[in-house]
Amino acid sequence: MSLLGADARRDMEIHRYPLIVYGLVPLLALVLQAWLPRPLGRYAWFDLPLVVTVYFALGRRSPIQGTLMGAVMGIFEDALSRHAIGMNGIAKTAVGFLAASVGIRIDVENFTIRLMLNFLLSLLSSAIYFFVYRVLLGLDLEWSWLTQLYIAIGNSVIALIVFPLLDRLQLKD
Amino acid sequence: MESFFVRYRNLLVLLAILVAQIVGLAVQVRRVNSTGRASLDPNDGPGVRLIRLWAEAIVSPFERAIHGSKLGVQYVWSDYFDLRNVRHQNQELQRTIDRLRLEQAQLLEDARQGQRLQGLLGFQEKYIYSTVAAQAIGSSGSSQSHVFYIDKGSQNGLKPDMAVITPDGIVGKVRDVFPHTAQVLAINDQTSGAGVILETTRIRGILRGDVDGQLMIVGILADERIKPGETVLTAGGDLIFPRGLPVGVVEKVVRDPERDAFIDVMVKSAAHLDQLDEVLVITSMQPRFSDQEQKDIETSEEVKGAEAQAIKDQLKASQIMAEHLPGLIEPNVPADQQPLNDDTPPNPMTPPPQPLHPDRFSPGAAPTPDVGTDSQSAPGTAPKPESPAEPQSGAQKGPGRNP
Repeated sequence: MSLLGADARRDMEIHRYPLIVYGLVPLLALVLQAWLPRPLGRYAWFDLPLVVTVYFALGRRSPIQGTLMGAVMGIFEDALSRHAIGMNGIAKTAVGFLAASVGIRIDVENFTIRLMLNFLLSLLSSAIYFFVYRVLLGLDLEWSWLTQLYIAIGNSVIALIVFPLLDRLQLKD
Repeated sequence: MESFFVRYRNLLVLLAILVAQIVGLAVQVRRVNSTGRASLDPNDGPGVRLIRLWAEAIVSPFERAIHGSKLGVQYVWSDYFDLRNVRHQNQELQRTIDRLRLEQAQLLEDARQGQRLQGLLGFQEKYIYSTVAAQAIGSSGSSQSHVFYIDKGSQNGLKPDMAVITPDGIVGKVRDVFPHTAQVLAINDQTSGAGVILETTRIRGILRGDVDGQLMIVGILADERIKPGETVLTAGGDLIFPRGLPVGVVEKVVRDPERDAFIDVMVKSAAHLDQLDEVLVITSMQPRFSDQEQKDIETSEEVKGAEAQAIKDQLKASQIMAEHLPGLIEPNVPADQQPLNDDTPPNPMTPPPQPLHPDRFSPGAAPTPDVGTDSQSAPGTAPKPESPAEPQSGAQKGPGRNP
């Protein structure tokens, strides 16, 4: 894991994509996240909007863009669920910001690092969600960390497949 | 000052967005009970509802498209490739339908009678009157939220808190309604609740889901009578689900970890909650029957009426015949002593009449073993017959029996 100066790495390795990719990929992630649990049932251990948020935040290396991307994805997820708007929003906002901040400082081209980041940020997202629900709002919530662990593993596996595909959509200078 | 905003703009944007969302959450959460526990406001405010509407409007067309594609593939497969033995199955199904329609008509009559009796007792019972069939097109996508979307909305007559069922069992209730879609809260969600009753033991409880989406009945005192395999039905007291709909079967009984005297009854859902496709939304519950059921009742009544008419005709014919037959009605005898009102056995043991000149052919005469002795059995020499039995009293009560 090579450490570089933040500005130098950022200028050197910002990933750029066609505008349509920024619109379609998050939308596809939201649609699939809403549809796939139906055929997969309780084994839908993944969070595609989170994977997409992490991917773009790492690639763009812009904390503001990562923050906005996470906020939009999280609020969309909340809007489709019975949750109050903002539960997932806060979690994914923080994750987007952190992913972009980390992406500035470390070599995110390394596949192992990407997977580890995905795994850790998935668990962090779950922890923030739990914190907001139980501590910040004081609501009753049954919680299974094991399920969250499965989701984190599922996100890592999906990232293993999806990240190289999304890399192909980059604009080449 | 400008350099501060430029330098910390990332953090400031993050804080601004986080604060905005926290304030939004605070607006949506309110304290509703005396214990001070916070609870999500079940009724969304206008702003929240608008966000949900937008999200649903953006996502649902794609979900419909995916669902439509899936149905198209299934259609092609099932209608072109999987048609083996379909003719034979069709014949069998037709026979089954015929038989079930007759059974249904009989059961409906029983149900109607029960309904009348309940009405007489002042018992308010709701029956499913009309339903809307809908397709499940999407879910919330969150493991913490067991909700799904159906392709029918307010334009199809759906309203919040309507019950959603399948032929197998209950599924959930309508939570939020949009023009063309609706959000359904499944019964295995943590925030869901339905009044249920155990079929055999008649123990009541509240059904809800746990963190893994497993159905459980909570708030039941420990009772050894509850065994796995017992059927769970809706109790009908929650004003959402009609009484008596199947919910599932008891899977196992575990102790409530928080309260010693209580147990949690884990239930295996009758409906396939994980793989829902078509559901029925109960849009109206009235003590009436549907048009089809009314037709079946009328059919049943017609059949029954024809039988009753045939029996009536037979009765009438026998009465006419009785009027025309002489001696059946004695004009000088009181009505309660008429022969038709005679309650004596129709064929009593009547002794045969005594012959004036008994011979060997007379009843009671001893058989003659040898035909060659005919000369010995001349009239007057025949053995004396046994004395006849005393006539029964009943036989005396029938004057004019043989006119």
